[in-house]
Amino acid sequence: MARHDPILPNAAIIARREYLERIRSRLYRLSTLILMALAVGVALTPIALRYFDRARVDRIAVVAADDKLATGTIATANGIMNLAPPGIDAKDWAPPYVIERATSLDRALEDLAIGRLDAIIEVDRGADGQLDVTYWTNGAADGVKSQLAGFTALSVAILDWTSSLPPGSQLGTFHTPRFDTASLQGPVENGQAVDAVQIASRGFLGTVFVILMFITILIYGMWVATGVAAEKSSRVMELMISAASPRQLLIGKVIGIGGAGLTQYLAIAVPVMLVLALQDEIARAVLGPGGAGLPTGGLTIGLLAAYGLFFLLGFTLFALIYAAVGSFVSRPDDLQTLSLPLSLIAMAGYLCALLVLLGSTGAAARIPSFVPPLSPFAMLARLMVSNVQPWEVLLSIGILVATIALVAAATVRIYATGVLLYGQRPGIRAFIAAARRAG
Amino acid sequence: MSLDIDRVSKRFGPTVALDDLSFSVPRGRIFGFLGANGAGKTTTMRICLGIVHADSGQVRWDGRPTGDLQRRTFGYLPEERGLYPRSTVIEQLVYFASLYGETARDARANAHHWLERFRIPEYATRRAEELSKGNQQKVQFIAAILHGPEVLLMDEPFTGLDPVNLGLLRDAFLELRDEGRTIVFSTHQMEAAEALCESLAIVDHGRLVAGGTLGELKRTSRARTVRLGIEGEILPAWLGELEGVAAIRPGAGFTELELRPGIEPRDVLAAALARGAAVSRFEIAEPSLEAIFIEHVGRAPDADDDRVDAA
Repeated sequence: MARHDPILPNAAIIARREYLERIRSRLYRLSTLILMALAVGVALTPIALRYFDRARVDRIAVVAADDKLATGTIATANGIMNLAPPGIDAKDWAPPYVIERATSLDRALEDLAIGRLDAIIEVDRGADGQLDVTYWTNGAADGVKSQLAGFTALSVAILDWTSSLPPGSQLGTFHTPRFDTASLQGPVENGQAVDAVQIASRGFLGTVFVILMFITILIYGMWVATGVAAEKSSRVMELMISAASPRQLLIGKVIGIGGAGLTQYLAIAVPVMLVLALQDEIARAVLGPGGAGLPTGGLTIGLLAAYGLFFLLGFTLFALIYAAVGSFVSRPDDLQTLSLPLSLIAMAGYLCALLVLLGSTGAAARIPSFVPPLSPFAMLARLMVSNVQPWEVLLSIGILVATIALVAAATVRIYATGVLLYGQRPGIRAFIAAARRAG
Repeated sequence: MSLDIDRVSKRFGPTVALDDLSFSVPRGRIFGFLGANGAGKTTTMRICLGIVHADSGQVRWDGRPTGDLQRRTFGYLPEERGLYPRSTVIEQLVYFASLYGETARDARANAHHWLERFRIPEYATRRAEELSKGNQQKVQFIAAILHGPEVLLMDEPFTGLDPVNLGLLRDAFLELRDEGRTIVFSTHQMEAAEALCESLAIVDHGRLVAGGTLGELKRTSRARTVRLGIEGEILPAWLGELEGVAAIRPGAGFTELELRPGIEPRDVLAAALARGAAVSRFEIAEPSLEAIFIEHVGRAPDADDDRVDAA
């Protein structure tokens, strides 16, 4: 009969020590503060961008062949480009464009070149009566403004055409149509498709999340490896291994360091959640009455929770492997060499996630979201920018948890052997032999 | 009740660390475990603790395999000293004791008692990295005994200690023995072993080569110790030329010679007289533990074996 070493209380005692040692360090506190500030900054970015957009008014000149065409173009452009968003009272809405007439194209072009104007809409009439509309910008044309200008050109053409109809023709009033986008694979929240602006925002946020996960998993993983290696090189491991079982040591270390990581995550996520929960109030305070109710980005509490869950599972999986690596080294140099393959694996997960964030929805994007250790990165990315079925999320989590259990069993064996090996350069054969050896 | 090492064998790859090793340590004794570097002492201790598993054989305490016993049954002072460098002494002592099931309050009180006992109470709140090696060693010793283990396994506990601390540690050994605890320690310091041990085992290449009480070992030894006094000469140069002399030690008015088995004391006397020395004292003494060690192992205890004690 082998010695029975229950996980508790020793794993908890070890976890407590590891946790306190990490959170008491100056580096930990400093990095937490910096990351917290960055995350709150990201959460506030949409409001800030709107604030600066709001403060800035684009000047657009209309150069037309005649007065009637100029007046019609200005009225139409105002109706399209300065339309108040749905749900916003027009009197609270500050139009983002000043659209005015310029009599000379040459002078307008000079003004555009020196930045006095932001764009020119040139409307000319050909010999056959067809309108030619040119949208002039200084530098590359802004996609949204170009679309609005194109929409304006079409509307001006229709109005011009209807004005040429014979007297007595019966036509209803022309209404500017509303335009929206819809996507089959797009993310859905509360049964509603997430709008295109938020999807674009989530692409950016997803990249931030995936980079954050990649960096934190590598950093916290290295904490585990260096913690084990330091105990070994300082020889305190000799005392520890007689006081606690390898299983207790491993679980305590991973939980303690993981807890420090989770604390850092909460220190970052809670202020961000508060910003999200109070986004209407913040937007109203910053942007005025018209700011409330605007979509201020794609970050939601659900996505933050998903990040927390996949971070924890991903960290646990990587931390176990890092602990096994740390147990096999006697020198810090070896730790750098041995941890490189792990960094490459994490990098593969990061690249899979980027594939998803760049719009891939095929098998190459879906399969990695079920394959540990790529799945924490890939599934998080899918959740950010595409519609993922609940069963897919559950399956991904289930496979990840099962993998963690298998890796933990192997790691305990490797760890028990590795921590007592000194002066031997570890190789893959040594790992396999240790994993096979009965604990 | 005893600690029984019963036909234990262990290999690390091609290296035989322990080869059918057997001996018993009676409860409440101080037991010396002697052997050159690489003889298998550390491996034996690790097997006793359950850190390393034997390929065959068994270690029992009170008739039960040690692998079945609670960890707190044992206290271990490893040969390689180590503490958490940035933690305070009291923090880590409480930490180690709590892993063995002690409450923080008891551990703290007990730790302060032992720090006082070892004359380092002011170091309780210092970081371990601020302590000298000798003081770190005392802290590690306290960590090994704080939970009140029945069996203490100490790997080279006296190495690196100055005479004052050596005395403190010896006193602690005797006190723990008097409390009924069983102490097994390995050492290269034969004087310390001779002064403290009631029973001994000498191992070489993983095998037991001699064992028993100190008296039994001395009685059965074929090694001889001769004390030779020569008028006008303290340490004559020709003594080093004598065949069969394992060690020469200067004494007060005499020179002590350890003779290898097969060399008789009368051969030394004859050699002295043949050189015209004025012999004032000739005495056949009990062999020292070092002489017994050399008799069985063939070299001094601090000579390295060519093998690695792999675990």
